Amino acid sequence: MITVENLTKQYGNRTVVDDVSFTLEAGTVTGFLGPNGAGKTTTMRMMTGLVPATSGTATVDGRPYTELPNPGAVVGTLIDASAVHPGRTGRTHLRLLADTIGVPASRVDEVLELVGLADAAKRRVGGYSLGMRQRLGIAGALLADPPVLIFDEPANGLDPEGIRWMRDLLRGHAARGGTVLLSSHLLGEVEHTVDRLLVIGAGRIVADGQVSELLGSDGTSVTAVDLAGLTRVLQGAGFHVQHGPDGALVVEGAEPAVVGALAASAGIALTDLRPLQRGLEDLFFQLTAAA
Amino acid sequence: MTTTIARPTPAPAAAPRPTVRRTGPSLPTLVGIEMRKSLSTRSGKAMAVAAVLLGPAATAVVAGASTEPLATVTGPIAVMGLLTGYLLIALGVLSTAGEWAHRTVQTTYLLVPHRGRVLATKTVAVALMGAVLGAVSTALTSGVLAVMVDGASWDGAGRAMVVAVVAGAAFAVVGAGTGAAFANTPAALTSLYLVLLGVIPLVSGFKPEIAEKVDPAGAVLNLGQGEQTTQSVLILVGWVVVPAVAGWVLTHRRAAQ
Repeated sequence: MITVENLTKQYGNRTVVDDVSFTLEAGTVTGFLGPNGAGKTTTMRMMTGLVPATSGTATVDGRPYTELPNPGAVVGTLIDASAVHPGRTGRTHLRLLADTIGVPASRVDEVLELVGLADAAKRRVGGYSLGMRQRLGIAGALLADPPVLIFDEPANGLDPEGIRWMRDLLRGHAARGGTVLLSSHLLGEVEHTVDRLLVIGAGRIVADGQVSELLGSDGTSVTAVDLAGLTRVLQGAGFHVQHGPDGALVVEGAEPAVVGALAASAGIALTDLRPLQRGLEDLFFQLTAAA
Repeated sequence: MTTTIARPTPAPAAAPRPTVRRTGPSLPTLVGIEMRKSLSTRSGKAMAVAAVLLGPAATAVVAGASTEPLATVTGPIAVMGLLTGYLLIALGVLSTAGEWAHRTVQTTYLLVPHRGRVLATKTVAVALMGAVLGAVSTALTSGVLAVMVDGASWDGAGRAMVVAVVAGAAFAVVGAGTGAAFANTPAALTSLYLVLLGVIPLVSGFKPEIAEKVDPAGAVLNLGQGEQTTQSVLILVGWVVVPAVAGWVLTHRRAAQ
């Protein structure tokens, strides 16, 4: 379990991370969202000891990252995929990491196969594309199959198939009891990958909750064969009805079960009935603009 | 050029975890890894090869072109040891500043968060490489002298060879400390070579009594010929310690990003 308490980072008079607190539980994928410069990467760097915090703490199973006996065995980190010497081959780079962490050399071949770089392993990293470097970084983070993964913008440079592969990888990791924290600008990708959202704006956490809680809103979207008739029935029951996108009716303050029951009582056939959900993009801009 | 990238393999549903060492790497393991880091790049390999071959090559050229008889081999051995040391400075700088230049220092600190431990192992690693490369170079230089030079005295040659090896290690450590302090390869190299090859020789022209108290080149040559031993050792120790301390302090204060 990762616990961050009152983490703050100041550079002179500028506060880039302001009293951030959250806890990451095992078996979850948490998305860390925020605009450029919001403090996501700085928070991750403080969590992993790369940047000293001005105040506050970040612990992994109760211990600061720097006090873990073998951090690479516990936390797999991808913060800067381009932080690889271009003169080394992919295999050499991973072998050095593997020997530092203390995993067998055979594990290098396994992760290269896993990320699809086995054929490029003998080539110098300087000749890799952005996506290949990203995969190499993911491979390095997975060498010890650590319980915790901290990934900063892991989908950078990946094609749609690669993004789907990474999503399955992270969700599978959480399903096996692992803990995943990933930051991303790709809102659509995050929405399909994570269970929980942490939204940061101007250094402060502005939202923290399950995706369904944050995106759900009080209302129902419904389409029917007889929209006019359904509208009269719903308005007669005291609900405010608006016409939404794609010809649907948006009924604020109404549960889908209630709308369905009213339609059934009036003998109106429904073609679609669902809870009203905000888009992640709308939520993102609403929260970060307020920050 | 078209590159076909293999598609990633779907992760196995419940593959067993790999065997992982529970503790961090031991110091000998880290030293070995740091040595492999230095020699795993083309620049590092080129630097090592150049450090080995410069001395004997220069000796062969000078021996072949010189018409004057050589009285003793201690001077040439010490001089070539010094030249090799100048090259080994770059190896040391690359081992520390090079990590900041390529941002690989982030990965290093993620796996070994104790920066003092990392710097200490890098120091030991470059010292060992400097000593080994210096020893190989000195042996080759001595071989060239033995083959190409007749009549020279070999009295004191053993001492000169030891000094050349020590100089290799010392200069490599000077480079590592300076590289750690600057965290910038060009700045570290330029500063060191400017001081060693520009400022000190310039000062020796105006204030030789000051220059001889700080010049590591003079210290190496004097040690190689068995002269001013105490002062020469102190000068070399100072050159090793001051950058190392500066590197230690600044490395601990610098954010890795």
